[in-house]
Amino acid sequence: MVIAANQGEAHKPSSGRYLDQEKVRKALDSATTHGASYAEVRLVSFTQSSVAMRDGILERAIPGQELGLTLRILADGAWGVHSTTDIASLPDQIESTTRLAKAVASRRADGEKPIGLAEVPIFEDEQHWNSKLDVRNTELDTKMDLMNDFYRGASQHKHVVSVTTGWSDEHIHTELMTSEGMDRTWSFQRSLVHGMVTARDEGEVVSYRTRAGGQGGLELIKGVDLLELGEQAQTAALRLLKAERAPSGKMPLIADQDLTGVYIHEALGHPCEADLVAAGDSCLDGKLGQKIGNELVTVVDDPTLMGGYGAYPIDDEGVNTREKVLIKNGVLTEYLNHRETAHHFGLEPNGGARAQDGLHHPLVRMSNTMIQGGNHSDLDELMEDVEYGIYACGTRGGQVDTGRGSFQFAAQEAWLIEDGELTRPLKDVSVSGMTLEILKNVDGLTKEAELATPGFCGKGQTVPVGDGGPVMRIREALVG
Amino acid sequence: MNMLPEGAEERLLSNAKLIAKACEQSGVQQWDIVGFQSYGHELDIEAGKITMAGGGGEGGFGVRVVEDGTFGFAHLVDVSGAQRAVEQALRIARKSPSIDNFVLPSEQKAQRVGGMCDQNILNLGPDDLLEQADAILNAVKSADKRAIVTGGGVGVSATASCLLNSEGILESGLSTSHGIGVQVTIDNDGKMTSSYQGDSSRTRLVDVPDCVAHAVDWAVKTQNPIEVESGAKDAPVLMTSEGFSPLFSVVVPPAMMGQKLVRKESFWTGKMNQNVMSEDLSIHDNGLLEGGFSSGSRDSEGVPKRNQSLVESGRLVNMLWSTRDAAQQVAEGRIESANSTGSAVSRSHQSPPSTGASELTMTSSRGSRSFEQLLEQLDDGYVINGVMGAHTANPTSGDFSVTTSSILRVVDGEIVGPLKQAGLSGNLAKALSGNVVLGDDVRRQGSYSSGSMHLPDVLLMEGLRVNPA
Repeated sequence: MVIAANQGEAHKPSSGRYLDQEKVRKALDSATTHGASYAEVRLVSFTQSSVAMRDGILERAIPGQELGLTLRILADGAWGVHSTTDIASLPDQIESTTRLAKAVASRRADGEKPIGLAEVPIFEDEQHWNSKLDVRNTELDTKMDLMNDFYRGASQHKHVVSVTTGWSDEHIHTELMTSEGMDRTWSFQRSLVHGMVTARDEGEVVSYRTRAGGQGGLELIKGVDLLELGEQAQTAALRLLKAERAPSGKMPLIADQDLTGVYIHEALGHPCEADLVAAGDSCLDGKLGQKIGNELVTVVDDPTLMGGYGAYPIDDEGVNTREKVLIKNGVLTEYLNHRETAHHFGLEPNGGARAQDGLHHPLVRMSNTMIQGGNHSDLDELMEDVEYGIYACGTRGGQVDTGRGSFQFAAQEAWLIEDGELTRPLKDVSVSGMTLEILKNVDGLTKEAELATPGFCGKGQTVPVGDGGPVMRIREALVG
Repeated sequence: MNMLPEGAEERLLSNAKLIAKACEQSGVQQWDIVGFQSYGHELDIEAGKITMAGGGGEGGFGVRVVEDGTFGFAHLVDVSGAQRAVEQALRIARKSPSIDNFVLPSEQKAQRVGGMCDQNILNLGPDDLLEQADAILNAVKSADKRAIVTGGGVGVSATASCLLNSEGILESGLSTSHGIGVQVTIDNDGKMTSSYQGDSSRTRLVDVPDCVAHAVDWAVKTQNPIEVESGAKDAPVLMTSEGFSPLFSVVVPPAMMGQKLVRKESFWTGKMNQNVMSEDLSIHDNGLLEGGFSSGSRDSEGVPKRNQSLVESGRLVNMLWSTRDAAQQVAEGRIESANSTGSAVSRSHQSPPSTGASELTMTSSRGSRSFEQLLEQLDDGYVINGVMGAHTANPTSGDFSVTTSSILRVVDGEIVGPLKQAGLSGNLAKALSGNVVLGDDVRRQGSYSSGSMHLPDVLLMEGLRVNPA
């Protein structure tokens, strides 16, 4: 238990490690003795800090350290899992967790496939993505100064009623030991600033949100012109005050890089997660190697894209990360896998296992997901052929029903396109569609693709992700 | 068998007292400490089978220090780090602006709220959950041979919690919960329909709660979509409690928070004591609800919770406040006076208290109708049982634009078939101020962001636009 009297001593890392390797090895050996075919212990320490300011005044600053450990045991082809904040209790949980796995296995119907794990190279190593400026050393005053740059840019207008700014940073330290001899330690940092401008004009009230940051330390935030970001947010909020409700119906849609990222994350990324495919909850089941989109469309998911909010050096099963090409010229080429799904489908694990923290078990997740660039030079060229449509920018999030293959995402702001020109500003634009239809409707991409605003993805567990791409045109989308 | 280790509550409290001691040793003027320690078991279900059994325990502490109207906060898991956490919180407090008259609440008599802990849940072990999962899987198969539980699970937990402060408040207790959720999918010649439904309770659920049958029912109902005329149209919409609650939780609770109202960040700003909803509608927040997930004797600052009316017969009559938010808005001159309404909530030990609702209930003085009566009144429109993208709704304006694949077309008061997909947009504040009719089956809906909601099916006759795909 977390409140064990001797826990303070037990948790102190020696030589940079929290886990006592000898004790953990013995515990893993005992799991094997009890009948486990595989056992792993993954510990994650999060050193976190968050700050919230409103109208340039500190609202709250929260430092904290969280430590959690998950023991995962595969026995008779089924999983038993134990998660705890009490590291010292680990050896006591081996037998009961193995028993749990066997109890699940005993319910397997005849002919049902037992869970297995694809083989992976075994490493004993450490990988630390050291930030140029370790975010843990950042004083509260420094954070507040930077956040106030956003406030100065965003305030100072009679219609702006409030400006809130937030800061979040974390140093993530993971240790993984397995019964196969894997013993890996890795660490990295994430830093994020976000802001929201609320504007009001008589009865009309609107808000505009923005974020900046990614994988890395203080250098990331220092590299952002937060004053300019604040000014842009104010301009957008004031524009929304005068914006009209969007028209509804099927029409051409051009999405900026931010929204393109969310689109590809929701519409394609989730259905590509092999745990959903294996569960019978993906519209892409059985479609590997098939053409599912316009040949313009190539999509990658890449945790090695340093700086992206979804970057990580090693996945949460100890597998080395690499770029995954999910769609190549419209053909579905790869699912996102962890070891279990790779074994299930007879594929190679590709480093897609991620857990929210030390208290959750790994699921198949996205990292930094992007559509690659196309042939159009810029937005103007994409708009040339559009008689009546929508140009939508920024994201307010999205959601997908992976089984049906239907999705929705919402834009922060938008413009009406009439005869190839941006005319009136619009608000409350949401776009929905069916994955297998809309991927074929992508008919224009600008050359330059890049990661856009950092985001978060929920799938029972929340993990940071990066999304992006070029500016994208969809021939026909359901708007509103 | 007992899910909770012996002495868990006492151990949690004694560790909280160690943090309190660290506060006193550091000469902190005022402090409060919250602590949680949860234990539980869970099962995952995927592809029609149990795929994982898990369990464990987690918890931690949050400590808030207050000095001359400033506050600082830190959270920790390991109490050996208490002194460091207190010092961090103090450093933050010293950089924070002072709020006149912000002091932590002192002890006031609080009403005991029952139904929070069920021995039947404490006695449940992993084998019991395995049996329940088997029963659910069998029930789904029996209801429709093609139906598969593609996701979801079963879980139970027991939580020891404590709250103590420098002003003499000391509260501790145990609570339990039992929850299930099922994503049921039907593959009909490659055309999939699915529905997610769940249920949770502080007391032990029956092995196969009604939500399982509802999930199968909606997966079946949405098969074989009909063709309808495309193009967006304003239309009356009957939203089931499950379909309505995600939108309600994003839009309505924030609009009733004191600091949002006085900062002009609520669409109901300036409308205190004015009609904001249909005249027959009322919203109450019952923090004392027996067995509620967000109710209890005291809020997260130790102030006694209460049963309070927020909207009465369509009029906005009250707003929600925590101690700190109330003091801050008074100090900054946005409101003449404001006091805590027992509405401080901490989402976990990692967050200091902020203002939030506990157990919101929407009722109508017009009485309520059966689902069939609602359909008859709807006449020509749609029934919606779930939406995608409720989190993208705008809480400051009430505007939303979401998507649904759980939608049925109604003509002449009869359901004629499902639509494949449709957009749904409008302004929820405006829709609730129009002609609204409530159903008679109030169901509790959970919400991460705004406590629990007790909502019936809701017929919104005006203000919504449906855009069939």
